[in-house]
Amino acid sequence: MSIMSYNGGSVVAMAGKNCVAIASDKRFGIQYSTVSMEFPKIFEMGPQLYLGLAGLATDVQTVSQRLRFRLNLYELQENRHIKPKTFSSMVSNLLYEKRFGPYFIEPIIAGLDPKTSEPFISVMDLIGQPCISKDFAVIGTANEQLYGMCETLWQPDLEPSDLFETISQALMNAFDRDSYSGWGAVVYVIEKDKVTVRELKTRMD
Amino acid sequence: MLSLVQRNEDEVLKETRSIIERSCIPPGISSIEMPPFRDPKTFLAQYTKPDSAVKIKFNRGTTTLAFKYGGGVIVAVDSRATGGSYIASQTVKKVIEINPYLLGTMAGGAADCQFWERVLSKHCRIYELRNKERISVAGASKILANMVYSYKDMGLSMGTMIAGWDKRGPGLYYVGDDGTRVTNNIFSVGSGSTYAYGILDSEYKWELSDTEAYELGRRAIYHATHRDAMSGGMVRIYHMKSTGWVKISEEDVTDLHYKYKEAEARQ
Amino acid sequence: MSGLIKEPEVGGFSFENCKRNEYLMTKGGFTVPKAIKTGTTIAGVIFKDGVVLGADTRATDGNIVAEKNCHKIHYIAPNIYCCGAGTAADTEYTTRMVASQLELHRLNSGRQVRVVSANRLLRQYLFRYQGHVSAALVLGGVDINGPYLGSIHPHGSSDRLPYVTMGSGSLAAMAVFEDRYKPDMSEEEAKELVADGIRAGIFNDLGSGSNVDLCVITKDRAEMIRPYHVANERGVKQGNYLYKRETTQVLKKFEKKVHYEVMSTNVKEIRPAAETMEIA
Repeated sequence: MSIMSYNGGSVVAMAGKNCVAIASDKRFGIQYSTVSMEFPKIFEMGPQLYLGLAGLATDVQTVSQRLRFRLNLYELQENRHIKPKTFSSMVSNLLYEKRFGPYFIEPIIAGLDPKTSEPFISVMDLIGQPCISKDFAVIGTANEQLYGMCETLWQPDLEPSDLFETISQALMNAFDRDSYSGWGAVVYVIEKDKVTVRELKTRMD
Repeated sequence: MLSLVQRNEDEVLKETRSIIERSCIPPGISSIEMPPFRDPKTFLAQYTKPDSAVKIKFNRGTTTLAFKYGGGVIVAVDSRATGGSYIASQTVKKVIEINPYLLGTMAGGAADCQFWERVLSKHCRIYELRNKERISVAGASKILANMVYSYKDMGLSMGTMIAGWDKRGPGLYYVGDDGTRVTNNIFSVGSGSTYAYGILDSEYKWELSDTEAYELGRRAIYHATHRDAMSGGMVRIYHMKSTGWVKISEEDVTDLHYKYKEAEARQ
Repeated sequence: MSGLIKEPEVGGFSFENCKRNEYLMTKGGFTVPKAIKTGTTIAGVIFKDGVVLGADTRATDGNIVAEKNCHKIHYIAPNIYCCGAGTAADTEYTTRMVASQLELHRLNSGRQVRVVSANRLLRQYLFRYQGHVSAALVLGGVDINGPYLGSIHPHGSSDRLPYVTMGSGSLAAMAVFEDRYKPDMSEEEAKELVADGIRAGIFNDLGSGSNVDLCVITKDRAEMIRPYHVANERGVKQGNYLYKRETTQVLKKFEKKVHYEVMSTNVKEIRPAAETMEIA
């Protein structure tokens, strides 16, 4: 068994027209046994910047806290909000530093540029190979299913409310075919002036 | 051993043949067919490991339960089939209707359960024709146990419960792939069985009414599907009565979840 | 700095998770997750006035195409580029580190960096990690000694050749080069040859795919052509799969307003134009 699927969980991000969305399931399990249904995998890293982590739960928490620490130092030093692209490099550097003893997580960064409000999505492997994507990014135990859903459902220039439907349906239909993900879902739609957080009604088995 | 030496070859052959006949061999097989390699279980295991180049993923992972009570036997199962972490189906029939008075459940390898219970069904029918009466639950379950015992340690995977009604009243047996055969009032089999037992043990009593019994089975399966990643889909409930089995319900566990949650909130 | 989380203050690799990971892999019986690989066809040829480098654009994660249009031709210096195959993160970071060292070298020496310097830095870096940094590179550039093309293997060996290929599609590309390479080709001829080599990889090697990227380096310019050729055009969707609004059932919803925090204020007064100075 892969250590990446020990605790389960999936994250997906999608770009829309002047907006981005990021969504994850809420399961925390120990192999087949579901321990918690309130395990956040998406972390707020700025007013319009979110980080999704899938993989080994202990590393999800460690990495999110380490990044928060580095981010705080950055903001203290620079006296401004970080750009998603800069934050993406920060994540990549943190992960590649541990090239030979990696954290067992894969990150997704989704946000809007604090100045230009340009949508940004990037995804990495566990040693920080960055990949900036124009359409969508998927990680986690349901990644194969998510690839299939996103390749068919995603289309360019989705309005925020259409983006919400698209990302929600992509996520829910994907993890309904994965036994390690599910048990609730949370969706963040990030727009210029607001971030809408929705918790979805999902299957609970 | 001593008697064997003294008897002539013909006699031994005759008896062996009759034992083989009595041991219920599947159709078209004249004797117990052995796989053509030394250790079938280890041979198979090397292809089911996740890092093997050739991967065979069996459908497994289940919650099934059955219990006897005043009104007969309740059989309740989930409907999920998984191959590794992939959910292959949410609508599997895990209750096998052997005949109007016998039900079998499916846990472990889907193909093993389905095949051997079909063979069992054939033998039960032959028994009826020969003896002009229905086979007892004890008898039926023993045929199954004997059949799988002859394939012991060759990699069969099944955990099944045989529920029925005969002259002695309600009957319930557990038959395992190692040849185990035991009877009891309550059984639960599969990856979600521990969760189901939790509900079953705290609520069970012999004097349950029919509706109470259905609800107990339903709740036990629902809670198992909620916590066990390998169980899910819907809850199917069967009731074994003196007049044979009746299918009671088929409900999606998602509907049950939100119904139970709503009821909880109202309290 | 916090005493609770020890953050490394210097660069370089951190091995703090190694012991734990080793334990998980051996005692825990878990399998090691794989990093994204670039299955890859990369190649290069020398022509009359310089070097042409080429690469496909597929990145794979096991049997999944992780990225359909990734960069595999990395910048090293204004006159040097480098194609990478192997573990994607390794090729990216190795070339990036060497690029930064060479830039410092250029600023120190005040001269254009030579391709042999890039070659030596890459070789020594890869040799130090004994093949564990899995980067297979095709290095090309033009300096005062003229065009240079060579390959560097993950263990740190390197060779210099007029035409090279690397990656899982290297055999397919080399077959094309062996057949059609000739010395002193024109730029157009060289570009088509490299593109054909990469296409051979894209169509015949499962690890390579998508587009052809090229990079042409001559004495006075380096040009990235991305894409040079879209070898696999994506089909147009026949249907519309947009869900009707309010299909998804929502349990809870709340909005967070994005506040624009004022970090600093700088008021510039607009003064009326200064009066014309009187001339005494």
